[in-house]
Amino acid sequence: MTILEGLNKTFESKIRLGIMSVLVANESADFATLKALLGLTDGNLASHTRSLEEAGYIRCEKKFIGRKPNTTYIITQSGREAFTAHINALENFLRECKS
Amino acid sequence: MKEKEVEQTLNDIRDMMSKSSRFQSVSGYSIIVVGLLAAVASLITALIIGVENWFPCSEKLQQFMVTDTAARTQSIAMTGLILFALSLLTVFFFANIKSKRHQLRFAFDKRMGQMLLDFFIPLVVGGVLSIVLVMQEHFGLTSSIMLVFYGLALVNCSHYTYPIFRYLGYVELLLGIIDCFTMSHALLFWFLGFSVTHIIFGIVYVLLFDRKAK
Repeated sequence: MTILEGLNKTFESKIRLGIMSVLVANESADFATLKALLGLTDGNLASHTRSLEEAGYIRCEKKFIGRKPNTTYIITQSGREAFTAHINALENFLRECKS
Repeated sequence: MKEKEVEQTLNDIRDMMSKSSRFQSVSGYSIIVVGLLAAVASLITALIIGVENWFPCSEKLQQFMVTDTAARTQSIAMTGLILFALSLLTVFFFANIKSKRHQLRFAFDKRMGQMLLDFFIPLVVGGVLSIVLVMQEHFGLTSSIMLVFYGLALVNCSHYTYPIFRYLGYVELLLGIIDCFTMSHALLFWFLGFSVTHIIFGIVYVLLFDRKAK
């Protein structure tokens, strides 16, 4: 089966794929928004964003709003490309299944 | 098996993208209610304008209302303001219920702020303009200005929510423009734009989005 070629290992986790979906649609999102949208705990979200950051697909900006720390995640160009490639691979797979 | 899984994944991605970037909490039922409220307001206004024939009140008050046009203008303006406030409350109230029922996000964040700003800038400008027109007793264009600026407000914020709102905006703009060219049908166009259009749009919206969501 060569069909699954082009699938990205980083996006195997549903949560990481969810994070990327949100960021592709919105460019950036803060920690609380992501947490609420995906229904995750702090620690869980943090570990997944860290792995995406290490892959260079997202970057994070930390700043203080008043006294509260605020973390915003922003999608990088390579992240956008990787995500698009992954979606294309999934769609190709479906197309080949149907034909 | 694998095929279904991939399909599910793609659907999840699509859902997440639209859930995170669009406001889906506006309820179609609230749009219908807003249309009905506007119909009531149109009726009240029609009664006030035709106070000689319609208004069921004491003769003394009738006399006063007929002779005192300022009182009439004020009561029409009050009707409008009350309608505006009630409509906003209705939309937010229904949106709150809908978002709780379908677990949609309905919180005041940066994006919501941007959307409200984009919606209210044309609306407030149009509102101020029509209030000034009324104060200077140029009543002729107030209804078309309300329609045109409301249409602009809708078009301006439609990309934050379902794109169908853009078409509601277009309809309001069209009605407002036609209204400019016709004389003495202001209330009719206002009724068409704010009541009939909302009721029809609300029904379409319910069928497209609210029923499907269940």
